[in-house]
Amino acid sequence: MSKRLLILIVVLLITVMALAACSKATTPAPAQEQTQEQTTEEKAPAGGEECKVVFGAAVSLTGKYAKEGEYVKNGYELYVEEINKQGGIPVGDKRCKVELKIYDDESNADRSAQLVEKLITEDKVTFLLGPYGSGNTFATTAIAEKYKVPMVEANGAATKIFNRGFKYSFAVLTPAPYYLRGIIDMALDKDPNLKTVAIVIENGAFALEVAQGAKDYAEEKGLDVVYFDKYAKAAKDVSSLITAMKSKNPDIVLGAGHLQDTILVMKQSKDLGLSPKVFGFSVGPTSPEFRKALGKDADYVVGAAQWTPELKYKSDDIFGTPQHFTELYKAKYGEIPPYQAAESAAALIAYQKAIEAAGSLDKDKVRDALAALDYDSFYGKLKFNEQGMNVYKPMAVMQNYTDGGLYTVWPKEAAVKEFLYPFVPWDQR
Amino acid sequence: METLQLTQGVVNAILLSGTLTLVAIGFSIVWGILNIINLAHGAFLMVGAYITYWLFTLYGVDPFLSLPISMLTMFVVGYMVQRYLINLVIRAPLLVTFLLTFALEIIIINLATFFWKGDLRSVTPDYAGLGFTIGDVQIPYVRLAAFVISLVLTGLLHVFMTYTKTGNAIRATGMDIDAARLQGVRIPQTYALTYALGTALAAGAGTLISISFPIDPTMGGAYTLRAFVICVLGGLGSIPGVILGALLFSFIEVFSGIWAPSLKDAIALLVLVLVLIFRPSGIAGKAFYH
Repeated sequence: MSKRLLILIVVLLITVMALAACSKATTPAPAQEQTQEQTTEEKAPAGGEECKVVFGAAVSLTGKYAKEGEYVKNGYELYVEEINKQGGIPVGDKRCKVELKIYDDESNADRSAQLVEKLITEDKVTFLLGPYGSGNTFATTAIAEKYKVPMVEANGAATKIFNRGFKYSFAVLTPAPYYLRGIIDMALDKDPNLKTVAIVIENGAFALEVAQGAKDYAEEKGLDVVYFDKYAKAAKDVSSLITAMKSKNPDIVLGAGHLQDTILVMKQSKDLGLSPKVFGFSVGPTSPEFRKALGKDADYVVGAAQWTPELKYKSDDIFGTPQHFTELYKAKYGEIPPYQAAESAAALIAYQKAIEAAGSLDKDKVRDALAALDYDSFYGKLKFNEQGMNVYKPMAVMQNYTDGGLYTVWPKEAAVKEFLYPFVPWDQR
Repeated sequence: METLQLTQGVVNAILLSGTLTLVAIGFSIVWGILNIINLAHGAFLMVGAYITYWLFTLYGVDPFLSLPISMLTMFVVGYMVQRYLINLVIRAPLLVTFLLTFALEIIIINLATFFWKGDLRSVTPDYAGLGFTIGDVQIPYVRLAAFVISLVLTGLLHVFMTYTKTGNAIRATGMDIDAARLQGVRIPQTYALTYALGTALAAGAGTLISISFPIDPTMGGAYTLRAFVICVLGGLGSIPGVILGALLFSFIEVFSGIWAPSLKDAIALLVLVLVLIFRPSGIAGKAFYH
């Protein structure tokens, strides 16, 4: 085969692969005509007849974040079911039924943004809920801002989402740089002699912020960060990083990433015999899927949690306590709720409280009420700083116990079991 | 760089090269004989991996025992696909078959995502993650087994191509299709057989990969690209070339992964570009499967 033809093929192949990977990045539709249509909706609550609130969201139901996306959808749906049992959200002196419109964004940020645009312009939803993940949230909040539709999101923790001066985006969850603080605190509380930390990072918006936040915090606490490197977002093999980490012999290994790569890091750590004293991750160990994928190898691993079923919050919202939320969730979906489900339901509680305070479904009035919100929910404090982030709620830590259970081990006052320490090396099991 | 990194890296690279040889060899024969850049190769690999996964998860079949099942199933599928689909446009320019296999890839991945969801899955037999150590270097049993099986399959392919009549017919077709036809080689059957072989080898690789790495419906694309790079590195039409290409590629991948994990893919493709510029026929040059 000639040299030129080969080069042509290489170019073609790479183009095709790139196209397949990035999918179709179409330009957003012209904004003008749609912004007019959108204002007509405001008269809705004034009419005496049937009133309803439609919440729209693009959520990952397939692709890399399919599992987390499912939890998000479950959280949204559980809230909607419960509130409609009570007749809906109180708006002024009546109640409005709640409807949910969810599309699958295939774990793709471009697709997520397109779908949110469709939700606003074609489906004319009243308010927006967030997708799963910081990347997708980053893309969709820009669309919400463009059309001036509020979006309360529950699954995008990167601060860069909120550093753009947006007025219509709010997040109920604790921001990314705070994620691993709980694990570091807990480890040092257990063994003040821990010296070194290795951090592996998924190369994505959320994980990079988690990692940087963890690094800064670890150094502040006098720990030595001996390894700090990234793997590609869709990595299927991280054995090189594990090998590099192992040669540093760290006391603590922290992973900043999501469920799938966390499972990968654990699998290959076993393959290559990496056994630190503490294994902690930003996302993954707290979901039932983690145990299913790893079996006994999930033992001892700790994960940061936005929320756990054992926390001791009390509230007058429809769920009341984390325990009651857990009961309802278990009855409907047959498993303990992961925090993604709880925070997603909490986004709707934030909306409900803001709508009640505004006494209206007007988009700008509800936005202002959201900005002023200060409410203690079953999920913890719902309050936003000027940028729209909830920096008022602490992170918890959960551990996969040797009895197969998953328990809150931090903060101490909410812990149901003691933190199992240290991680038992692979070759001694 | 510490010695552990170096020695573990070398072991990792050698073990990886076995699997990658198997991935690339099927791609290579289809390319060499049929002149098709088979973009669906990775998708077949993925299906092979899922066959192993489901047999293991639903019926508890040991992943290594599912190897012949996954290879045979995909052999039949590959034969059908070539005989009744690709064969329709086999005389069209390279670009047409290229696009056809691309479409096939998308269809297979989409169906897989639809039926099996996008979740990452793992095949976890009891012995997964076990291994032995030499000095400080860890050698996982499953990867060692995958390495050995890959080499055995590659050896079998070599024997088949060199010492059997059918194998000779396949090679003859790749060298000169008209001369082969004059000698009585039935071209459509030979083509279908070759494609089926390529597909079966992809599925076998998928099975072995599923034991060491997590799988999902989109896993194949990365392997198609690697197979392509390895074929170019090693030169088309030679089994030793593929082995050499896979070995070289594995070392590049593992060590760029240690030194600059975020640039891993860029470095691997940079090597491809350099080879194309300086030695377009590949390291081993052109031969014909023996």
